[in-house]
Amino acid sequence: MSALQEKLQKRAAELLESGEVAEVIAWGAGRFENQTTPLFVTTAQEAEHIRFNDYCVNTLAKYALNEKTAGKIAVCVRGCDGRAINRMIADNQLKREEVYLLGIPCQGMKDRRTGELLEKCTLCTHKAPLVYDELLGELVDTDGAADAMQTRFSAVEALEALTREERLAHFNEIYNRCIRCYACREVCPVCTCRECFVDQLRAGWQGKQNNLGENRYYNLTRVFHIGDRCIECGECARACPMDLPLMEINRKWIKDLDTLFAAGEAGLTDELDNALGRYDLSDVEEFM
Amino acid sequence: MLLMKERVNDLLLALAGKSRVYVPARMTTSVPSVASAAPASTAASAPAVASAPTAATAASASADTSPAATASVSPAAQVLSRFELYRPGTQPAFDLVNTTLPPKDMLFPQTQKMYRYGIDAEGNAYVDAIHDADEVVVFGLRSCDARSIECMDDVFCTKGYGDEFYEQRRARLTTVAIGCTEVAETCFCDSMGLDPTTAPAADIQLHRTADNSAYLVQAQTEKGGAFLKTWAQYFDEAADAAPVAKVECTLKVNSSDLKEKLEALFEHPLWEQLSKKCITCGTCTYVCPTCHCFDISQENRMKDGERFRCWDSCMFSSYTEMAGNHNPRPDKMSRVRQRFMHKLCFFEDRYGKQLCVGCGRCIEKCPVALDITLLIDSVQALSLDSPSTSSVIPSQAKDPSASERNDSSPTAQNDGLANSGNEEGAVHVAG
Repeated sequence: MSALQEKLQKRAAELLESGEVAEVIAWGAGRFENQTTPLFVTTAQEAEHIRFNDYCVNTLAKYALNEKTAGKIAVCVRGCDGRAINRMIADNQLKREEVYLLGIPCQGMKDRRTGELLEKCTLCTHKAPLVYDELLGELVDTDGAADAMQTRFSAVEALEALTREERLAHFNEIYNRCIRCYACREVCPVCTCRECFVDQLRAGWQGKQNNLGENRYYNLTRVFHIGDRCIECGECARACPMDLPLMEINRKWIKDLDTLFAAGEAGLTDELDNALGRYDLSDVEEFM
Repeated sequence: MLLMKERVNDLLLALAGKSRVYVPARMTTSVPSVASAAPASTAASAPAVASAPTAATAASASADTSPAATASVSPAAQVLSRFELYRPGTQPAFDLVNTTLPPKDMLFPQTQKMYRYGIDAEGNAYVDAIHDADEVVVFGLRSCDARSIECMDDVFCTKGYGDEFYEQRRARLTTVAIGCTEVAETCFCDSMGLDPTTAPAADIQLHRTADNSAYLVQAQTEKGGAFLKTWAQYFDEAADAAPVAKVECTLKVNSSDLKEKLEALFEHPLWEQLSKKCITCGTCTYVCPTCHCFDISQENRMKDGERFRCWDSCMFSSYTEMAGNHNPRPDKMSRVRQRFMHKLCFFEDRYGKQLCVGCGRCIEKCPVALDITLLIDSVQALSLDSPSTSSVIPSQAKDPSASERNDSSPTAQNDGLANSGNEEGAVHVAG
């Protein structure tokens, strides 16, 4: 890891020195051991503060949306960051030429509290970056990616096996806990609406009370909205202060779209290919 | 006086017969375990819902029996917890350093209905205030949370305006604090002028005895004295029991003169640098025991309606939106600055104390590790004589995130009060 960190620092410094990019989005040290925090580097001298280790839990790509106003932005990309970039390009939020992508091989990140691989990483199907301008380090064989193609749906299958009532109880429990901090929305690389339906106060889609009904309405509407574009980075569940398993229902969506439309995974390329975003004559229309 | 540990549950049961009692408790889940229903081969990668109860069991097994006194500061896997209504069978978790969610909702619920209004069958208009008349005991507060109640009292009960909804709850609240016997790595209350062992504002203070068999009990207010008299049968004579050794936080900051320093830093570039990583979610404000900002809204159905207030967050762009789409805090820099200035400068200006009690919840829960103690370090490292146009945050503890420039929130603006009536989540078509 530390060799990679050195490379990253070196390339960040060079890119900033040469003026190729205005800023590098990477990770820096947090206050505590095994903690990192997003870092925004604008001068070559500051590049030495970049860290890369097993605890770089934040997916960085979404920061590019804010930071790109400064000029071309270099972003560190692993599988998840890269798919987020692809998806944001497909969604017309970002142009490929606005970012310079530093590809980083990844073996999954760990929870600093337990030292174990993050759940989002155990279920990751593409740890290696799928898109980059240059690759730092060697692409390594990413363990478990093939397994994850199936295991990522195991929670969905378990949910499908429950009775209607059990499923209702399950989701009621989840949404009862939600405190509506909107961290899931804010970290989500496909939640890029200029104005979220939640904030359309005059229209009043979303009531302000915290109760099961409002919480369920928020969460389910978000699922509907991102379902066919979700890149499965799992940032929503990682960011959730109430530890809600938010990826379960996202993956139900993904699994169904896969079954109905052979939708595949989102964000593998920057093509606009989401199942619900286009129409094909061969689409199933069982309800017609 | 002494409260023997084996009598705590009896006391809580008796209290619960006369008032609502809240105790720190691990959040249990009734969620059917999805993991157990999963095929055995995939159980290892089962979803998060299954892990919480397991962790809770493991934690409670070792809970409260360790010979404490020395500060243990491992970043233990967090089990969600909150102050929960005590019912027969509730397992109070007095071993928790502090709860995931603060106890503020006992005085200031996330959603509080204020009054109902409408037109009755005879065609007359009515407005009925909604008041909560129950006596409430909160048992097992920590010093940080007890101080947070002092802060909220300042806001809701002083400076010439008493908030009746808060005051009525406050008058019926009895607080029983328990001195901390261990600290989390994110705890820094003793840097903010608190004592983790004792909460002077609590009605009653408990200190665990060194042999871990009982709590030493001390009434600190008139209300606390009356409480001890009423429930005297549950307490024993103190004899010569010694309290457990004092603990000290391992995370330290220098909070002296923060207000004066921050006053000079309103336009400093550090806010731009600091706020870049902020995603403007409301996590810090919702897990904060002192954040008390709210929004008032209403929901109407036919001829009746309810007015309520609910937590709001200065991190949200809608928080400061005004009619005509004007927003005095249009970007995340100004929102991040507002939150920290309110905590460490404006509140002290108005009420003579800082609005941060050092509980560390925001540090623990921030999804991007934006850490208030690092901000304090940065501010303290700045020399007030230095030109405020310096573009780099001076040497921080370990996080030298340094850069500048503007950013703008991707969230566009809108205005107006929410007025929605989908309590049960009726299907709307959202844009």
